[in-house]
Amino acid sequence: MTQSTLTLPNVLDLPRLFPLLSLLHPRQHTRLVLASLGVGLLVSYTAVALGMLPLWAATALVLAILLPAGLLKWHDDYRRYGTTAVTLSILVTTQGVHTVEHIVQWIQYHLFYLTMRQSNGLLSPANSEWVHFVWNWLVLAAVVLLLRSGMRGSWIWLLLAVALFHTVEHTYTFVRYQIILRELTAMDVLNVTAQGLPGIVGRDGWLARSEWTRGTWICSLPGLTTAVRLDIHFWWNTLEMALLLVAGHRHLRRHPL
Amino acid sequence: MNSRILPFLFLKLASLLLASLLAGCQPAPPPAAPLPASLPAAPAKLTHLPLSGNPVCSGSFVSHRLDFTTGTRLREIGTYISNGAGVAANDLDQDGLLDLVFASVDGDSTLLWNEGGLNFTPQPLPARFTRAVSTVDVDGDGWTDLFFTHRGRAGISFWHNQGPAAVGERPRFELHPLTGVDSYAYAMGWGDSDGNGRLDLVTGSYGVELTQHGVAADDPQAGVHLHLQQEDGWHTQVLAPDAETLSLAFLDLTGDGHPEIWAANDFGLEDHVWTRQGNRWQRADLFAQTSYSTMTIEWGDIANNGQLTLFTTDMNPYDIHPRTLAAWLPTVTQLAAQKRADDVQVMANVLLTRASDGRWHDQATRQGVDASGWSWAARYGDLDQDGLLDLYVVNGMIAADLFGHLPNAELVEENQAYRNQGQRFTPAPEWQLGSTASGRGMLMADLDNDGDLDIAVNNLRSFAQLHENQLCSGASLQVELQWLSTQNRSALGAQLLLTTDSGILRRDVRASGSYLSGDPTRLHFGFPTGTTLQRLDIYWPDGTLSSFENPPDHGLLRVTR
Repeated sequence: MTQSTLTLPNVLDLPRLFPLLSLLHPRQHTRLVLASLGVGLLVSYTAVALGMLPLWAATALVLAILLPAGLLKWHDDYRRYGTTAVTLSILVTTQGVHTVEHIVQWIQYHLFYLTMRQSNGLLSPANSEWVHFVWNWLVLAAVVLLLRSGMRGSWIWLLLAVALFHTVEHTYTFVRYQIILRELTAMDVLNVTAQGLPGIVGRDGWLARSEWTRGTWICSLPGLTTAVRLDIHFWWNTLEMALLLVAGHRHLRRHPL
Repeated sequence: MNSRILPFLFLKLASLLLASLLAGCQPAPPPAAPLPASLPAAPAKLTHLPLSGNPVCSGSFVSHRLDFTTGTRLREIGTYISNGAGVAANDLDQDGLLDLVFASVDGDSTLLWNEGGLNFTPQPLPARFTRAVSTVDVDGDGWTDLFFTHRGRAGISFWHNQGPAAVGERPRFELHPLTGVDSYAYAMGWGDSDGNGRLDLVTGSYGVELTQHGVAADDPQAGVHLHLQQEDGWHTQVLAPDAETLSLAFLDLTGDGHPEIWAANDFGLEDHVWTRQGNRWQRADLFAQTSYSTMTIEWGDIANNGQLTLFTTDMNPYDIHPRTLAAWLPTVTQLAAQKRADDVQVMANVLLTRASDGRWHDQATRQGVDASGWSWAARYGDLDQDGLLDLYVVNGMIAADLFGHLPNAELVEENQAYRNQGQRFTPAPEWQLGSTASGRGMLMADLDNDGDLDIAVNNLRSFAQLHENQLCSGASLQVELQWLSTQNRSALGAQLLLTTDSGILRRDVRASGSYLSGDPTRLHFGFPTGTTLQRLDIYWPDGTLSSFENPPDHGLLRVTR
């Protein structure tokens, strides 16, 4: 078979109803994607079971094995549909994986009752201020690129606003992270991390503590000044993902592949 | 549907969701019916006494050094010496002035006899290595006795007030056995839990410190114990075998007119509440949120609506400056919080109000008091006498094993004063109560007899302080109860309602509650100048009521029953 096609019942005709599914479908790379995923999971599971790799390394291995297939698929997207579609395809896929990571953290914290520090998701070393900072700037850049390459509509503007605020939040935490590291170094404290501190919103964040907002109606808004950081970023990403899906869906309905 | 409308619908939906969350995030408060209106009348005599002090006015508080220190004799302070000691006040020699008693973790406890004009004469008391202190007339002989808890394995010590040997002399205190009370104790609480007219005692041990002293975790003397005082002596009930108790209180948390017992626990051990069911005490689940390491318990009617608002302190930096957080981080990372299903603990102060579901919900962030540093004692008190209870929290930490990265192993913080604005608390730096000494125990009392509330603090590794109130705003009435027909002479547990033309002020007589400290049984009502006082209602612990129309609007009222 040289090209795979979606074979869903016509009554549902999901690709027509949800054109994002067509965009995300690996098409001729389906076998490669499935094979990569299978090999990745098998190798990783075995490595974890034998104690050769920690969970985060196994997760990274699965993603690394999937990467070539993904690159081929996105290259194919670019050739077929152009810049906007491939940007959307990459963003939905990567942000989707990122959201899964936040969902896992949320489950670890709220369902498995791990501590905040232990609730690191599947890729624990990636749960660092550097990664969050770079990641959110890349997401923001991708949204801007979508706009510049012709994606329009109110949803993409809403997404831009949310991505911008999210990036501002991570920039704030990243800058403070650097300053606090410097303070710790000045005290000869070198073995303490400054990761995971509150940002602008959430419990002990800037809104909760600023002299302008402290004790005002803002602090009455549920969660805005009381939710823990893990929840805050779970909701940031869920909101961003939801807006991205709606914006992508609206765009592809107006501009079919 | 027009696609341009969708984002706005989305926003509208989001705002509706937000509104529903706002409405649903906390049940509505129960109707304000704090105390029954019709009760058997209790005849009582009212004596109006003038105050002898002359107010000095500077518009702020002025700090004075008291002749007492604790923690200064030790070369190094580590956990849990770091937890410091308490302070209590009462009129021990019946001269009309409130005397002070300081506990000490590294030496003798000390009485500071109040000579008037903020002059105090120290008298060491051979009660050594003490933690909490309470001033209670336990045997109803009319003289206020002293009780201490001690560091390590020692139990409660009872210093009986013998009264003066001769006219003009000060009372003497003798160490008496408290037969039948033999549990380990860090914190203590006093109240008449069974309504027999005798004061009962609840004690709580501090498990981590007992472990340091070689006490096994399952030692039967450890835990929370209720000691009931009956005609034939003390009878003990074990409420909980495990405890990390820093504060204890007898307090009506269910609104049924009978006190519950509330034990505030350090670390991951949740606070426990027991409610009385006949002759048994059963655990009750009343809190939707509590502090994680609950240091102190405080309560009062902060909105003058007849409802109590509870306040507990925890460790949470009061500012988020990077330098502050850097000072905290090496320690905080050691305090890996345990987490369990349905865990209601949060590492922050909580301000709890009771809702229609009967549970207490946190409003601390909304009120701006969720973080006051590494906090210990906290007290409500109408410091500016505007009719609203303000809040003061003492803080700071010294521990070589926790803060070795800081100079002198000390986390230096400013005590936090909050002015009650009616709807929320706001910081009140203009009161100049931001002492950087490492405060532990603290109380509010009119120590210079000028009508307003002063503050006494037992600091660790520096002199104790008296913050003299020189705000000179508003007016006040102080009330003292004498219930001569029972052994509960000071009427601990009595509720007082002062009805004024601008609201109803509520106070209660208590001897303990705040971190390691004891309150005076003299109550302070502040109100704006010109307020008309319409009625004073006293709800006695035996369920009777004394009412007085048009009480005087100044001085000290002694109500004798």
